[in-house]
Amino acid sequence: MAPHFGLPEFGFLLRGMQWTVLLTLVAFVGGCTAGLAIALLRTCGHKGVEWFSRIYIGIFQGTPLLLQLFVVYYGLALTGLKLDAFVAVAIGFTVNASAFLGEIWRGAIQAVPLGQTEAAMALGLHYTSRMRDIVLPQAIRISLPATIGYLVQLIKGTSLAAIVGFIELARAGQIVSNQTFQPLLVFGVVGAMYFILCWPLSWWGSRMEARLALASQR
Amino acid sequence: MQGDILIEMKGVQKWYGGYQALRDVDLTVRKGEKIVLCGPSGSGKSTLIRCINRLEAIQQGSIVVNGHRLDDSIKAIDVVRQDVGMVFQSFNLFPHMTVLQNCMLAPVRARRISKPEAEATARRYLERVRIGDQADKYPAQLSGGQQQRVAIARALCMQPKVMLFDEPTSALDPEMVKEVLDTMIGLANDGMTMICVTHEMGFARQVADRVIFMAEGQIIEQGAPDAFFRNPQHARTRQFLGEILAHH
Repeated sequence: MAPHFGLPEFGFLLRGMQWTVLLTLVAFVGGCTAGLAIALLRTCGHKGVEWFSRIYIGIFQGTPLLLQLFVVYYGLALTGLKLDAFVAVAIGFTVNASAFLGEIWRGAIQAVPLGQTEAAMALGLHYTSRMRDIVLPQAIRISLPATIGYLVQLIKGTSLAAIVGFIELARAGQIVSNQTFQPLLVFGVVGAMYFILCWPLSWWGSRMEARLALASQR
Repeated sequence: MQGDILIEMKGVQKWYGGYQALRDVDLTVRKGEKIVLCGPSGSGKSTLIRCINRLEAIQQGSIVVNGHRLDDSIKAIDVVRQDVGMVFQSFNLFPHMTVLQNCMLAPVRARRISKPEAEATARRYLERVRIGDQADKYPAQLSGGQQQRVAIARALCMQPKVMLFDEPTSALDPEMVKEVLDTMIGLANDGMTMICVTHEMGFARQVADRVIFMAEGQIIEQGAPDAFFRNPQHARTRQFLGEILAHH
């Protein structure tokens, strides 16, 4: 006799949700750090370096995330590097996120008017200060709606981690559903959990966008 | 009143791809000199002053600023930019910083001056351009004329040896032109060395030691404002003056 969907099952889903949140956080923080580096390389003015980062972005945007996860999890295992499922998917999502965030921020950096950089140069400010004090604060503001939008995609995208056996929210839902034979109920709860994570962010993102549009009208 | 040579350009050539923007430009500027550069659009006057602080690279010739020869080394570019202040047509204030922060950033970051000292200097120059009471506002809260005066104060905070003005009043509403020109006149009277790209011929008459006319990347004619306006030598200069003085 199959168990009904009760508190223990709900607790199992909650733990899955925790892993989803944790994986998202690691991938987002890691992706932001590496993505910033990629965006800076992509706009540094050195042809060779710009090509390198362009190829990096091209590879990770141009191949399926699923494939990238396979490569990290199974591929690296073949070379003798056996990674824990969480570590493997965290690496995979981080690298993938760095390419997408890098490209978003590349666009934002280039959207800051050239006059800002020229004024900073004329004042004798070096590259580090020009970026940290002048360009990046404005670029981050410009990129905020797209960055938040990407974060929402990332939360939902982490469900792909199930493919290498990592139990996050979607995978937990599948397991509970198989045990209880109540797929509609279980996946309804899973969907509501994703919604609770994503919707506030989406709302915040569109509010940000509206505020930016207002600011640029002035 | 005019002293040592501050800027010396010799045989300067500049191309944008196949288009030659500067043709064999020679220019010597002495300490304390006020120069007005004029000419039709595309004549290379903005390009010329942008070469002096290396916002544009040159392909041939030499530029020496305050004894330092500009080459491609970061060190040379740095040294020169410390001595040269610039004011842009579109102000280019940093929109995410207050007026005071705009004025303090470069002295703190590039000159490594302490914050209290940089703030004192910034407030002094903001007073001087008569905008001291707006120090805590953001650029977007100011009028165009006020923004341009902040930009002048911001450049002065680095205590430059020479100031470059790239059409500083062209983006302003007519009623704000005077307040910016008055600020520039005040600066000139204090002995600042200035090179101004401008079509304000009244300003040129009032403060310039020398007016230079450029066309097609070349210096066509130069002279003291009196002689320049009363008796221009070249047909090209006469034509240009006729065009811009017609509606003034």
